[in-house]
Amino acid sequence: MVIDLDKCTGCGACSVACMSENNVGVLHDETDKIRSITWLRVYQIDNGKSFPDTEVAFIPRPCMHCQGGKAGTPGQAFFQEDPLLDSEAHPPCVSVCPATATDYDEETGIVSQIPTRCIGCRYCVAACPYHARYFNWYDVPWPKGTPRALSPFVSPRMRGVVEKCTFCYQRYQRARNKALVDGSEVGEMDYQTACTEACPSGAITFGQLQNPEHKVHKLISSEHTFRLLEKLHTDPKVYYMSKREWVRKMADNYVTRHKKLAQAAAGGGH
Amino acid sequence: MQWDRRAFIKLAVGGVLGVHASPLVWKLMDDSTIWTQNWSWVPVPEDGEVAFANTVSPQTGNAVQTRLVLGRVDGTRAIRVEGNPDHPLGKGGVVPEDSSALQLLYNDDIRVKTPLMRDKATGRIVPLSWPEALDLLSGNLAELVKKGKPEGIMALGHDPDSTTSQLLMSLMAALGSPNVAFTPDARETLALAGLATMGQTDLGFDLANADFVVSFGTPLLENFGNPVATRKAFASWRAYPKNSGYLAQIEPRASVTASQADLWLACNPGTEGALAMAMCAIMIQEGLYDQQAVGAAFGFEDEGDFPGFKSYVLKNYPREQVAAMAGVPLSKLLKLTLDFAKAKRAVAVCGPGPSGGPGRMYDFMAVLALNALKGNIGKPGGVLVQGELPLKPLGEASLATKVPPLVNPALGLDQNNPHAMAEAALTGKPYGINTLLLVGGNFMYNGPSAGTMQKLARQTPFVVAITPFLDESAAVADLVLPSTHWLEGWGDSVSPFGSPVASYGLHLPLIKAVPEAKDAGEILLSVAARLGGKPAKALPYKNVEEALAVRSEALGDFEKLAEQSYWVQEKPNYGAIQFNTPSGKFEFFSLGLFKLLSGRAGNPTALAQMVAGMGVSGGLEAAFLPHWEPPAAADDLGTGMPLLLQAVPSLRTTWGGDAITPYMVKVLPDTMLADKDKLVVEMNPATAHELHLYEGDMVRVDSTAGSLIAKVHLFEGASPGMVFAPVGLGHQAFGFQVADKGMNFNNAAKVTSDPMSGLPIWELTAVSVEKV
Repeated sequence: MVIDLDKCTGCGACSVACMSENNVGVLHDETDKIRSITWLRVYQIDNGKSFPDTEVAFIPRPCMHCQGGKAGTPGQAFFQEDPLLDSEAHPPCVSVCPATATDYDEETGIVSQIPTRCIGCRYCVAACPYHARYFNWYDVPWPKGTPRALSPFVSPRMRGVVEKCTFCYQRYQRARNKALVDGSEVGEMDYQTACTEACPSGAITFGQLQNPEHKVHKLISSEHTFRLLEKLHTDPKVYYMSKREWVRKMADNYVTRHKKLAQAAAGGGH
Repeated sequence: MQWDRRAFIKLAVGGVLGVHASPLVWKLMDDSTIWTQNWSWVPVPEDGEVAFANTVSPQTGNAVQTRLVLGRVDGTRAIRVEGNPDHPLGKGGVVPEDSSALQLLYNDDIRVKTPLMRDKATGRIVPLSWPEALDLLSGNLAELVKKGKPEGIMALGHDPDSTTSQLLMSLMAALGSPNVAFTPDARETLALAGLATMGQTDLGFDLANADFVVSFGTPLLENFGNPVATRKAFASWRAYPKNSGYLAQIEPRASVTASQADLWLACNPGTEGALAMAMCAIMIQEGLYDQQAVGAAFGFEDEGDFPGFKSYVLKNYPREQVAAMAGVPLSKLLKLTLDFAKAKRAVAVCGPGPSGGPGRMYDFMAVLALNALKGNIGKPGGVLVQGELPLKPLGEASLATKVPPLVNPALGLDQNNPHAMAEAALTGKPYGINTLLLVGGNFMYNGPSAGTMQKLARQTPFVVAITPFLDESAAVADLVLPSTHWLEGWGDSVSPFGSPVASYGLHLPLIKAVPEAKDAGEILLSVAARLGGKPAKALPYKNVEEALAVRSEALGDFEKLAEQSYWVQEKPNYGAIQFNTPSGKFEFFSLGLFKLLSGRAGNPTALAQMVAGMGVSGGLEAAFLPHWEPPAAADDLGTGMPLLLQAVPSLRTTWGGDAITPYMVKVLPDTMLADKDKLVVEMNPATAHELHLYEGDMVRVDSTAGSLIAKVHLFEGASPGMVFAPVGLGHQAFGFQVADKGMNFNNAAKVTSDPMSGLPIWELTAVSVEKV
C-alpha cells in the first residue's frame, strides 16, 4: 500500500469506510484514544513553525504489515533476521504472540489476526511500534437495531481480545475464490481494501509491491517515498509519499543521533 | 463411626482428591471458556447473497451504491454505503457522512417510528395513527386559512431545489402564506453575484482543468460543493514528480486547505474580499488583465454618470494599504497576483464560509471580477455557466400573497433569511405566527441562530416536525411525523455548489428500516389532499415518485434514471457565454442591479437610502460595483469582546443540516473533542499568553448570542486575536454515541445580514474568553 500524503485531506473517509467494512464498534467515550479502536487512524502532525508559517499534514496509519527480518538488514537493528527460524519474516507482533493468534502469511505478506484464538495477553500491543493493535477493553454497546448494518464477512469481536487491520483479508479471500472458480489470477483491481476504494482524493494505492505490473511497484521507487520509523527495520508494507521534506522527516520520528548510530552500525543502511 | 477431627479431614481430603480424579473440574473449566466466548450480546450477522443498488446522497450530492445482503431469515439489509465508481464526478470516492449513514438509519433508539403528539396538558408524548396525525395537521392549517390568517403559518425547509421543498413552496403558496425559508446556502449568493455581473445564476468553477487556483477563504478541501469531486480535482493537481496545479489559499487559519496549498496567504479575518479587490487593482495597474475580455465588458471604464470599475478600484484599493490592513506581506500578495495573471488556466474561487454560511455577496462579486480580468469566463479551467437542468416546475412557487412576508424585502435581494423571519415572528412585528412547520434541516440545532429558533418554537402554539429522527427539532415539536431516511424513500437533489456541470440525483427506497415512515413530500401531498380546494389542486400528485417522474420528464425514461440514480451534463459549457445582463455583456458595474433598485426606489435620494438600509457601507458609489464590506463583527470588538470566533469545518463533522454519525465522532482528533467529550477550541499561543491561558485550560467563550464551554488547545496555525471552534458538535439527540459530545457552535455564533444580498451570515463573532 502506498499513501500519498500530499493528496490526503484528513477527511477520515478511509477510517470510517474501514470501520463499516470490518464491524468496528463505537464506545460511550471515544475521546479516550487508548481504548478507542480505530484500525486505520488518521494522525495529524504540524511543522512546529509559528504563525503564519504553520502547516499541518495527516498520516493515515493502518497496520503496517511488517515483514521484519528481511535478509540483508543490519545486525544491530531490533527486528533482524532470526537465524533459528526458517521464515525470513519476523514482524514485531507475530514473534511475541504465545497463542499463534497472529501470523505472517508468506504468500500475501499480510499479518493476520484471529481474534477467537487470542488470549488477550496484549504482548503484541506492546510490541507494535506503530500502535496499530487494539485491545477490546469493553463489549461493544451496539445500539438497538444497528447490528442490522453489520457485515457478515467479518466476525464482530468479543471483549478481551486484540484486533487490528487485516488489509481487508475477507476481500482477498473473495477475490481468490472467484479467481479459482474462473481459473484466473487475482488481478490488481480484484482485490482492493475498503480504505483505498473510499478515499475521495485517491491518495491510497493498493497492490502487490513486488509485481512490476502493479501501480504500487512503480510508486515505491519514487524519491519521495518513505516508511514510518524506518530506523527500526520493521520493513513495513505501507509506504508513504510526500514532496514536503518536513513531513518525511517527521514520519521517521527523525532524531539525528539515532540516524547516525544506525548508519554507523549499518555502514550505510537506509 | 465417630465424627471427629480426623474423620473430617479424611473426608475433606478424600473429597478433593476424588473430585480432581474425576473429569468434572476439567469439564467445567472447558465449558466456562466456551461459555465466556459464546456471548449472546456479540452479534452474529446473517450471511447471504450480495447485491448492489445505486442512489445519490442528498447530503453531499455524491453518487453512492449500497451493498445489500439478501438474508434468508432477516431479509434484505444494507451493510455498507460505498462510492459509485461509474459516476463521472465522484468516481467511487465517498465521504464519512455518507459511508456511515447506516448507523443512523438502523438505530431504533433515535428513529421516529410512528406519528407522535405532545399532550399539551400533561406534556406526555402519545403515539398517533397516520390518519389522526394528518387530520390534526390539516385541521390546524384549514382553521388558520378559514380565519383569514394564513400568514400565521411559517415553514422551514432544507434544500430549496429539492422536490420536497418545491412541494412545500407550492403548499405554502396555495395556503396563502409567504413565510417559507430554507437553510441558507452559498449557491444563492453565487446566483445573486452571477446575476448581478453576468445575468446567469448557475455558475461553477472548472477546478479539474485549472492549473492555478486561488481560494478566497472558502474551505475548499474541507467542505466545498461535492466534496468528492473537489478532492478529485485537487488530487489531479498533485501529480508526480511535479505538481501540475498550483493552489493558493487566503484565510486566517492553517486549515487543511491552507496547509495543502502551495501558498497560504494568512490574512486578518474577513479581509479576503479586500485582497481580491487589491489583486484586481494590481492586475489593472500592471496591465496584466485580458484586454480583449475586458474590452467586451461593461462598466470597466467610467461611463457617463456611472463610475468605472477601473478608476474605483485604483482609487480605493491601493496595494500597500490593503496589504497592511489585511496583515499580509505585500511581496507575497504581489507575487500571487503576478503568478495568477501569468498562469495559463487560472481561476479565483469563492464559496461558503467556514461555518457553512452562504458567504458575502460583494466578496463573490469581487472574485467574479477578478476572473473576468483574467479572462477565464467560459474557458477550460475557468468560471463556467452550467448547462440547463431540464427540470419541470412542479407548480406555483410564486409567493405573491396579500400579506407582506415577515422578512422585509427592502432589506436585501434575497428573502431567504430564516433568522430575520424568526426574529420578526418573535417580536410580533408585523405579526406573530401560530404554526411552525419544520421540514428537514434541523433548524433547532443548525445555523443560523439555533438559539433564536428554539425561542420561536417555545413561543409558537403549534410546532410540527417532519423528520426521520428524534432530533432537536422533534424535541420542540407538538406533532412529530416520521419521514423516510434518504436510503428508504424517494427524493432528489440538484447540482452541488460550484459544480462546473449540471447534475441531478435521485434517491429511492432501497431498504425499509421504519415501516411507518413516509416520504416528507408524501406527507405534504396527503395534507394538501385532505385540505382540498386550492392546495389539493396545487399538489395533484399521488406520491413523491410521481412528482419526481413529472419533474424529471426531460431526462428520459424514469425507470432507467431511477436505476442509474443520477444524471450529469456530459461536457462542460466551454465557449462564448450568453450574458443576460441589460448591457448583454459582463458587467463590472452592475446595470441590472442598478436598474432593479432604481425602479424600486423611484428617485436617487430614495435609492441612496435604500442602499444604506441594505447595509451597504460604501454608499451609492460602491453599491453596484464589486467592493469590500468590512465584517460586521469587527464593530463589536471594542465592547469587551476582544477576540473573533470562527468555525473549523471538517468532513469529520457536518455543517449542522445533517446529523453527525457515531463513526464520525469516533474519528474526531483530540484537537476537536477531547478528555471525556469536551469541545476543544484553538488559540494562538501568543493570544493565550496574553490572557494567561495554558494548554488544556477550560474556558467559557461568550458572545452576545450565547456561550461555549471548551478546552483550550494552543495551535500555532491559529491567527492571533481569534478563537477557532469546531462546528457540527454538541447535539442533544441521536443517541449516546452522538449526543452531548462537545458543544454547538451555532449557539454562540452571532447572525447578521449580508449587505445587499440580505442573506444571514455567521462567519465571525466577537467574543470574550474567560477561564473557568
